[in-house]
Amino acid sequence: MARTVILGAGIAGHTAALHLRRMLGKEHEVVVVAPNSKWNWIPSNIWVGVGQMSVKQVTFPLAPIYKRKGIEFHQALGIEIHPEGSPTVKRPHVSVKYTDPARAGQVANLEYDFLINATGPKLNFGATPGLGPDGHTWSVCTAGHAVETAKAFEDVVAKLKAGQHQTLLIGMGHGTCTCQGAAFEYTFNVEHELVKEGVRDNADVIYITNENQLGDFGMDGMNFGHKDQIIPSQTFTESLFHERGVKAILSAHIEKVEPGVAFYEQVDGTKNSQAFDFAMLLPPFRGVDMKAFDANDNDITAEVFAPSGFMKVDADYTAKPYEEWKASDWPKTYQSVKYDNVWAAGIAFAPPHQMSRPRTSPNGTVIAPAPPRTGMPSGVIGRAVAQSIAERIKHGAQGRVHTASMADMGAACIASAGKGWRTGQAAAMTVFPIIPDKEKYGELGRDTKETYGEIGLSAHWMKVMLHYLFIYKAKARPFWYLIPE
Amino acid sequence: MSVLETFPDAPVPTEKELKARKNVLLQFVRFVALNLKMVAMINKAHH
Ligand SMILES: Cc1cc2nc3c(=O)[nH]c(=O)nc-3n(C[C@H](O)[C@H](O)[C@H](O)COP(=O)(O)OP(=O)(O)OC[C@H]3O[C@@H](n4cnc5c(N)ncnc54)[C@H](O)[C@@H]3O)c2cc1C
Repeated sequence: MARTVILGAGIAGHTAALHLRRMLGKEHEVVVVAPNSKWNWIPSNIWVGVGQMSVKQVTFPLAPIYKRKGIEFHQALGIEIHPEGSPTVKRPHVSVKYTDPARAGQVANLEYDFLINATGPKLNFGATPGLGPDGHTWSVCTAGHAVETAKAFEDVVAKLKAGQHQTLLIGMGHGTCTCQGAAFEYTFNVEHELVKEGVRDNADVIYITNENQLGDFGMDGMNFGHKDQIIPSQTFTESLFHERGVKAILSAHIEKVEPGVAFYEQVDGTKNSQAFDFAMLLPPFRGVDMKAFDANDNDITAEVFAPSGFMKVDADYTAKPYEEWKASDWPKTYQSVKYDNVWAAGIAFAPPHQMSRPRTSPNGTVIAPAPPRTGMPSGVIGRAVAQSIAERIKHGAQGRVHTASMADMGAACIASAGKGWRTGQAAAMTVFPIIPDKEKYGELGRDTKETYGEIGLSAHWMKVMLHYLFIYKAKARPFWYLIPE
Repeated sequence: MSVLETFPDAPVPTEKELKARKNVLLQFVRFVALNLKMVAMINKAHH
């Protein structure tokens, strides 16, 4: 009998849990620990944030699914990892703190044979004073945040209808943010709604970003193959900004936010401020606050986790100049550097380096978009880790180790630019591989047949289809496993 | 105060392109093509 504990029930953790349960007999235990009682299809939070979907449409309770599938569920936060056991509990275990109202605050130790850390990001609003729903800006990172944001957006529309001019500032709340795609989507969904409401003329929509140019998306841009042409994602994105009249502030690090004003520095060292009536600014991400201890209870957090709080896995973390980073530096198995029965899946693993060129202002301020880790790779990694564990349980050390390097896999990003069956629009962007590989694909680093961008109604339908498809899959309905990650 | 960037030199879609982006029949064809593209990309990933 083997017991696998999975920390996190997001795209990576939930995918891993369902696959593992499907691949293993009932004698083996699969245990999920997550602080929220509900699963959230995060990409559709964008539509919640403009009042086009309800929280109920993007979330569902996890407990009934896990009960049906025979997965043990603890509504709790993982707080400590003890991979060698401890003086009091000899076997490897994690310490968890319950968030379940019935046991709130209680701490327990859950023993494991295999552990998957799929805890995603900590939304680090604290990095910028005044950032976030507890400060002066809104967020769409969780369904709860998005619904509050929708209310504030509704107020903006009401003011515009009353004839008041409004400035809407959307983007990145810090120089090291990632997830530009989500801010891009929210920008164009807001713009679309303003047009629909007939109030666009009286509003300024401004996108503020740490990207050096539009279309960077934290990955130094892409080159889309289109017939016989190569279209840089910069041209593709600037075209949309031009067409829809959205202005931009580029290469910016927001230093602080006060009510109605964001203060920022740009890469040339100039400092400025931007007034707003409504701001949706994403926080930078870091790893969640978990600690690790050895058998004698010595703190080994720095050996298991990178300074960013993400878990160190089989990547090459050697510090080297940007030009020397390689596709092969990226992890393949996601196994912890220190323990071979511990893995990190999804956003929880520490990336070896930035994909977008990091820049520093003359004042020493780092303006460096972090690498994006979107839903598709998170799910694929979750499944690969589950497969490796199932192999280990069935065949011991001889079991096949599954790999899912982002340098060997593509990703699709369907960035919504407005909702509506006939009026909707989205930008469908695909890249292959995610991590550019100049050795394999030449100077552009990617296969330009598979790296592709297109704007249209069809991409919007695709986004809607993915919403229903992934919720169906996450609910583990019949044949869910036939839907790819 | 901010210096806001606009992108006056960026190409804008022609009237014809804008219509094509909303044409239900054409977009249905694109929808099928996009799905096939995704499936091909997923199959190409080697684990
Ligand atoms: C607004 C927004 C829109 C996005 N849109 C897209 C999109 O269109 N397409 C796309 O591909 N990607 C999109 N993304 C990115 C995508 O959501 C992430 O790539 C994906 O959610 C990462 O999966 P994950 O499992 O690593 O993390 P998450 O999905 O964040 O899951 C982390 C899980 O860990 C849990 N957890 C946290 N701390 C602990 C702890 N201490 N112990 C136990 N559990 C813990 C959380 O509650 C959660 O269940 C978007 C992101 C945002 C914020």
